[in-house]
Amino acid sequence: MRENLTKKEESFLAKWLDGTISDVTLKELVSEQDFMEYKKIKNGLELLDELNRPVAPSFNALNNSINKKRNFKNTQASFKWGLSIAASILVVLGCYFAFNSLETSHETSYGEQRTISLPDGSEVVLNAKSVINFTEKDWETNRSIQLVGEAFFKVIKGSTFSVQTSNGQVNVLGTQFNVKHTDAFFEVVCYEGKVSVTNNKKEYLLNPGNAIRKINGTDPEKYTSEKLFPSWVNGESSFVSVPLKYVILELEKQYNIDIDAHKIDDSIIFTGSFSNKDLKLALTSVFKTMNIQYIKDKNGVLSLE
Amino acid sequence: MINDLNNICNQKVFEKLFNIHAKDLRRFLFFKTQDMDLAEDILQDAFIKLWDHCNNVNPEKAKSFLFTVAKNMFFNYKKHEKVVMNHQKRTLKSSNYETPEYLLVEKEFLVKIEEAIAALPDKQKEVFLLSRMEKKKYKEIAEILGISVKAVEKRMHLALLEMKDKIGKV
Repeated sequence: MRENLTKKEESFLAKWLDGTISDVTLKELVSEQDFMEYKKIKNGLELLDELNRPVAPSFNALNNSINKKRNFKNTQASFKWGLSIAASILVVLGCYFAFNSLETSHETSYGEQRTISLPDGSEVVLNAKSVINFTEKDWETNRSIQLVGEAFFKVIKGSTFSVQTSNGQVNVLGTQFNVKHTDAFFEVVCYEGKVSVTNNKKEYLLNPGNAIRKINGTDPEKYTSEKLFPSWVNGESSFVSVPLKYVILELEKQYNIDIDAHKIDDSIIFTGSFSNKDLKLALTSVFKTMNIQYIKDKNGVLSLE
Repeated sequence: MINDLNNICNQKVFEKLFNIHAKDLRRFLFFKTQDMDLAEDILQDAFIKLWDHCNNVNPEKAKSFLFTVAKNMFFNYKKHEKVVMNHQKRTLKSSNYETPEYLLVEKEFLVKIEEAIAALPDKQKEVFLLSRMEKKKYKEIAEILGISVKAVEKRMHLALLEMKDKIGKV
């Protein structure tokens, strides 16, 4: 073996260099000193390979880290942007509310009834599921309330008092009146003084005992009411010739229940009242008289048949 | 500004600078660290720093910027390593620095190798470069040059002998 490599072929260094023969074999062929020198050269050559290796992969790695960093910076930047925008909006809103001196809002939940005192001593009794909004600033000169739902107003004499609803506007000077308004139902009853109702640019004047209502987009109809105040203030909802649909709506508002009326004709006219304090009694008084069966199903929905 | 050929923030300028300086810097860092991976890491970090400061560094000053930054990064690494080593002294008994295979490679030695390669007779140099730089197998070299594999191996053998003589002498 040794003879072969050294004398005849003289190529063992080439074979060692490309890994065909091992260090151990080479050690047998040359002196310890020479082996160390060859070994050092081989290491040096391998290192040169390493050092001369193309830089393109390095550049790709570099690009990746830079892009990551850039994205991070960008998200940070946009986050900062978002924050500053949010902050500005808060400041603007804050100023707006400060200068408009805080709109006051009162809201009642299902079956809830609440009496609210207005800054001039006037009173609003809010029926269930209703909202009023008003601005306390300049209340003495500008008595204006936005209403959704139903409320009974006892207005102290003073400047014009107006109730704004999407169905129309009610103006008074000093009086007691009730306004009921949902999407398709608008009713104003005057109990004392004089009330002016403006609807579709038409003005209607109500004297005590007069009432006006508008159901489902029809022309407003006037009627009379003998009562001194709305019955709901005393815990009873009463209706005079009202489609059953609105009675059911009121039941849902007062008792926070779901009523499924798709099996019956809910446009039949109902006159009567129900208690706001006793559901069983209320259901009996509404549906028994109309000869309608009601069943409570698994989901708590009241089905009418 | 981004498309300015004198601005490093221009991706093309940055890539060009990388292609010009990366090898030299890697080499420089290797001789400092004696650790290829570490050299590569610092190389990356140095170029990232150059990118971060791309608006403030003139392309002509990029080289000195890179080398200074890399040197500082290396010193910081050493400082940190010292702390780690001091801590490890208590836990680790010995390292393998004394094994005969461990041969510290100095910059001067590599320069000698490069010079020795350059000084090889043409026929040997040709085979040697094809083998070492082009990574060709002896058989492939034989085909390229139209000589026998044995002749290739012989030239390689002689080349190595030559180099040992030259490097050993100096």
